[in-house]
Amino acid sequence: MNQRQSATLAAGAVLAVLPLLVGSSYYQHILVLWGIYAVLALSLNIIIGYLGELSFGHAAFFGIGAYASAILTMRYGVPVLLGPLCAALVAGLIGAAVGYLSLRSTGPQFAILTLSFGSILYTIVNYWIDFTRGPMGIVNIPAFSLPFVKLDFAKAVNMYYVVLALMAIAAFGCYALMRSHSGRAFIAVRENPALAASLGINIFLTKLAGFSAAAALAGAAGSVYAHYLTVITPDMMGLQSMAAVIIMVIIGGKGTLVGPLIGALVYVCLLEVLRATGPLRLVSFAALMTICVIFLPGGLVSLWRKLKQNNATTTTVQGQA
Amino acid sequence: MDVGLLVQQLVNGMANGMGYVLIAVGLTLVFGVLRIVNFAHGTFFMLGGYFTYYAISMLGVHYLLAVVIASALTGLAGVIANQFFFRPLRKEHEFIILLSSLGLGILLTNGAELVFGADPKYIPSGFSDETISWGDMIVTQQRVLIFVLASVALAFVYWFIKKTRYGKMMQATAQHPEGAVLTGINTNFVHAYTFAMASALAGLSGALVGPTAMMFPTVGDWAVLKGFIVVVIGGLGSIAGACIGGLLLGIVEALGGGYVSQGFAEAIGYLLIVLVLIWRPQGLFDMSRGSAK
Repeated sequence: MNQRQSATLAAGAVLAVLPLLVGSSYYQHILVLWGIYAVLALSLNIIIGYLGELSFGHAAFFGIGAYASAILTMRYGVPVLLGPLCAALVAGLIGAAVGYLSLRSTGPQFAILTLSFGSILYTIVNYWIDFTRGPMGIVNIPAFSLPFVKLDFAKAVNMYYVVLALMAIAAFGCYALMRSHSGRAFIAVRENPALAASLGINIFLTKLAGFSAAAALAGAAGSVYAHYLTVITPDMMGLQSMAAVIIMVIIGGKGTLVGPLIGALVYVCLLEVLRATGPLRLVSFAALMTICVIFLPGGLVSLWRKLKQNNATTTTVQGQA
Repeated sequence: MDVGLLVQQLVNGMANGMGYVLIAVGLTLVFGVLRIVNFAHGTFFMLGGYFTYYAISMLGVHYLLAVVIASALTGLAGVIANQFFFRPLRKEHEFIILLSSLGLGILLTNGAELVFGADPKYIPSGFSDETISWGDMIVTQQRVLIFVLASVALAFVYWFIKKTRYGKMMQATAQHPEGAVLTGINTNFVHAYTFAMASALAGLSGALVGPTAMMFPTVGDWAVLKGFIVVVIGGLGSIAGACIGGLLLGIVEALGGGYVSQGFAEAIGYLLIVLVLIWRPQGLFDMSRGSAK
C-alpha cells in the first residue's frame, strides 16, 4: 500500500510539472485535451467498469454540460467559475431521468436505449435553434477567470492546472467510491444482481445513483471543454463522439482507475498523430478497439499486470500468452 | 381536416415504414438467432445503396437488376462480417460482441468514406420522378416499388422461416442453441445464412430507399438508429413486432413531419420509444428467451 501511495505521489508530481517540461503551447494544449477526455472517460468508467452496463449515450451528457455551462454563463449571467458546477447539476438531473427510463432493462437493450436517448438529446440540441443555435454551435464562450488573481485561462498552461484539479477530484472520487459501501454495492450489482438484491441492496437505485453521478461528472468535463475551446457544436454529442469515449475506456482498461486515463491519452495522441490521414483516422481507431476487445479484453492496463506476473513467475507462463 | 392530405401522408409513411421494417427485421433476426445486437447493421443499408449505385453506373444494368445484385452482395458482406467479427467471439461476454460490432460499424462507415468518397451520391432508379395518381393522391412509383418489393421479400422471409427445413433450423437455434446442436444442427452454418439474410434485407432496404434520398457513408448511423427504434418498440427478436413497429414509426413520422415540423419528425420516433417503454419495458412483443415463441 505504501508503495502505491508513493507511486501516486510521484505520478502527481510528474503531472504537475509536465506542462513546464514540454514547453511548447501545442503540447500543453494536447495535455489539456487529455485531461478533459480523461475525466470524461473516468465518468463513463463508472457505468461500464463498475456498474457493468454498456452505455452508448454518454457523450450526450458531455454535450449537455458544455451547452448548459455556455448558455447559463452567457445569457443568464451565471459566474463562469460556477459553470462546471451548474453543468454537473443539469447533466446529472437529465442523467437521472434517462437512467430512470433505461435502467429498467439490462445488457444489449440498455445499450440500445442509452443510444436512443443520446440521439434524442443530440436531436434536441441540433434542432432547437432558438436556444442552442443548432448546427451553428455557440461561439465566444468566456474563459474561466478568478476574482482577484490575474491569470489568463485561455492559455493552455493555466487551463492545464484547472483540468488537472478536476481530474484529481474525479479520480479521487472514483477511488473513494470504490472503497465505500456504495462502491461495493456497485460491484455486487455487477457481479450478481440476484445475490445483491437478497442482501438488501436496491439494485435499481444503486444503478440510478451511479448513472446520474457519471452523467454529472461528464457534464462538468463538458463545461471545462466549452470554456477552454470557446466553441461548441452539437457534433460533440454525435455518434462518433459517443464511440470515442467508449474506445478510450476499453483501450485503457475498464473497471480500473488508471485505465481511462491511459485510454484518453492514447486517444488524444493518436488523434493528433493521425490527423493528416483523414477518414483513415477513425478506421485505425475502430481497428485498434476491435483488436483490443478481442486480444486484450482488460485493456492496456492489463498488459502491465501481465508483465508483472511474468516477472514474478517467469517459468510458468510460456504457454499462456 | 383535409382527408386527402391525411391519406397522402399515411401512404408516404407506409412506404418509408416498409424501409424501416426491412432494416429492423434483419436486426431482430440476428438478435433472435445469434443473440447479437449488431451496431454495424446500418452499414449494410449503406452498402446496399452504394452497391446499387455502382451496379448502375459501372455495369450499366437496369435498376431492378442492380437491386438484386446489391442485395446479394450485401448478404455476402454479412457472411464475411460474421466470419471475422462475430464467429470468433461466440463464447465471449455480450459486451465484447457489442463492442466488436461497434468497431465493425466504424470500420465500414469510414472505410466507405475512403473507398466511395464523402460526397453524397444519387441513385438514379428511373422510378423516382414518375408518379401514380389516384384522385388527389400522388405517389411516386419508387414508393410503390418500395412497398411491393419489401412485401415480397418479407413474404419470402416468412415462408423461409416457417416452411423450409433451413428456417426450422433457424427457429431451433433461436429457441435453444445447445439443443439444436444436440439434434445435429450445424449452428455455425445457421448463423452464417441468418447473417446473410439479415444483411441482404438491410441491403435491399438501402437499394430501395436510396433513390428517395441521397446516399452517403454515414447514412448507416441513421439506418441503425431507425432500426433500433423499431426493434425497441416491437420487442427485440420479434419479427411481427419489427413489421408493426416499422410501419408505425413510418406513419407517425410522416404525420409528425406533415402536421408539425420536419425536426419534430426526427424526434418523434424517440418519443415513441419513451412512451412504449414506460408502458411495456420489453417492447410490444416480448421475445426474451424462455417466453412463448
